[in-house]
Amino acid sequence: MRHLLAILLCLLSPLALAHDMGQMAKAPELGASAAFDSHGRLWVVDAVDGHVRLRHSDDDGHSLSAPILVNAQAERIYAEGENRPKLAFGPHDEIYVSWSQPRAKPWTGFVRFARSLDGGAHFSTPITVHHDRAEITHRFDALAVDGKGRIVIAWIDKRDLLAAEAAKKPYLGAAVYYSWSDDGGVTFVPERKLVDQSCECCRIALATTPQGDVAAFFRSIYGDNIRDHAYAVLTTQGQAATATRATFSDWHIAGCPHHGPGLAIGADGTRHAVWYEAKTQPTIWYGQLDPGRPPHHRLAIATAGASHADVAVHGHDVWVVWNQVSAAGYSLMLRHSTDNGTHFGPARDIAQSTVAVGSPQLLQKNGHVFAAWNTADGFRLIATESTP
Amino acid sequence: MKRLLALLLLVIPTLASAASLQPLAGTDVPALLQPPAHGERIIALWSLDCAYCESNLEALATLQRAHPKSIELITVTTDDITAQRPVIEARLRKMKMATYPARAYAEASPERINFLLDPNWGGETPRVLVIRADGSRTGISGALTPAQLQKIR
Repeated sequence: MRHLLAILLCLLSPLALAHDMGQMAKAPELGASAAFDSHGRLWVVDAVDGHVRLRHSDDDGHSLSAPILVNAQAERIYAEGENRPKLAFGPHDEIYVSWSQPRAKPWTGFVRFARSLDGGAHFSTPITVHHDRAEITHRFDALAVDGKGRIVIAWIDKRDLLAAEAAKKPYLGAAVYYSWSDDGGVTFVPERKLVDQSCECCRIALATTPQGDVAAFFRSIYGDNIRDHAYAVLTTQGQAATATRATFSDWHIAGCPHHGPGLAIGADGTRHAVWYEAKTQPTIWYGQLDPGRPPHHRLAIATAGASHADVAVHGHDVWVVWNQVSAAGYSLMLRHSTDNGTHFGPARDIAQSTVAVGSPQLLQKNGHVFAAWNTADGFRLIATESTP
Repeated sequence: MKRLLALLLLVIPTLASAASLQPLAGTDVPALLQPPAHGERIIALWSLDCAYCESNLEALATLQRAHPKSIELITVTTDDITAQRPVIEARLRKMKMATYPARAYAEASPERINFLLDPNWGGETPRVLVIRADGSRTGISGALTPAQLQKIR
């Protein structure tokens, strides 16, 4: 009897311990975005306890200010994996912030937006960007400001999937919708559909063209779950935007890659892109997009263990960063090209973390390039030049 | 003593069903990858964000029920147990998967445990890892086709 009791008590303790772990205080999730304003001040947004938190730094990330809460009233916020609060600046350093808010049901969300016109001292009450209010997916928001100061937001939207399901018609993935604001973020125009049947779980990359338009690069679906990428200029007047296939890896997957691309457009119009596919092995690719045709100067940047790349361009310098994982932890890796992406130098390990990390993001200040890297130990800004 | 024992016997099933979700840390991975004594261990990787995962888990559960003596089915979500435990547990119950041993990543980002489980897996879900008694392993990404399901055993 005593034996049995001892065994039962042994069985109970791990269960009780596991139960306790759920009560531990939550650390901030790792989804964060960073950007320099026109004065070289660094700003960082992430999410803590239902608030998007804004901090700034005047010493390139060595110290961060006390946080300002963007949304005074707490709400749920997606801030992990491919989701992170977004940050962009208007022509006069207006601060624009967007995020996706989970709703009650799985895979649902609303795209939210707030702005500050006084350097972050005060924020407007958050608004929902889309006019559609169905409790469905409107999430994976992406935010950019065009050459005329319009605020453009694109997101993944499942209204057409649900309509197709109701009509018993086949539909793969989700649609991409976008909207913009002509009045500095007070209101957003009724959303437009960019494309049907694109990937439902990968971030959308936005970049500005030399003409000042916002362009999108995102994982779409071709045929039977071929998850290649499309490129589109998000037009805000005249004709509708059209998405054109821009990668041709032919990776077939009836699933969620959780792995969106990156895009940076040079002053010469070269569309520098990075994307991920795992047709034969996990690979991050660099290429220069020529929508409708395979990319030029395609290069396998990294393979097994590499994830979540970003790309930046300044003149003829092109940088690619990504997370490289090993059993020991994470390295932030960098490859640099000085000939506009025709050739890249070897991979350099520019930072390490033994704890979990978010997706890296390349930032520029006066032609100097930094990598923003949010880790479970805190936010880090890493200069790409001063490292050995 | 008898009363205590009776009480414990009453309490254990409640705890087991309410808190059966266990963390999966990097250090737990080698044990999970140990070949089973016989048959197959199926590690069904899923995530909260993956709309394809539910039907995949259902299909694997059906396969396990057809071969209960040879197939050991374990579900593993790549979502962080610390941040998402109640949501994961609710989803497992909704998917009728709560009766299978369930693990969730004990890290705030999934890439390191992904890599430890299978360096040739980039984190796409659903993902199935089949480990056989002879030590061989097969990894399959995406919703399983009937042909792929048949090949598992």
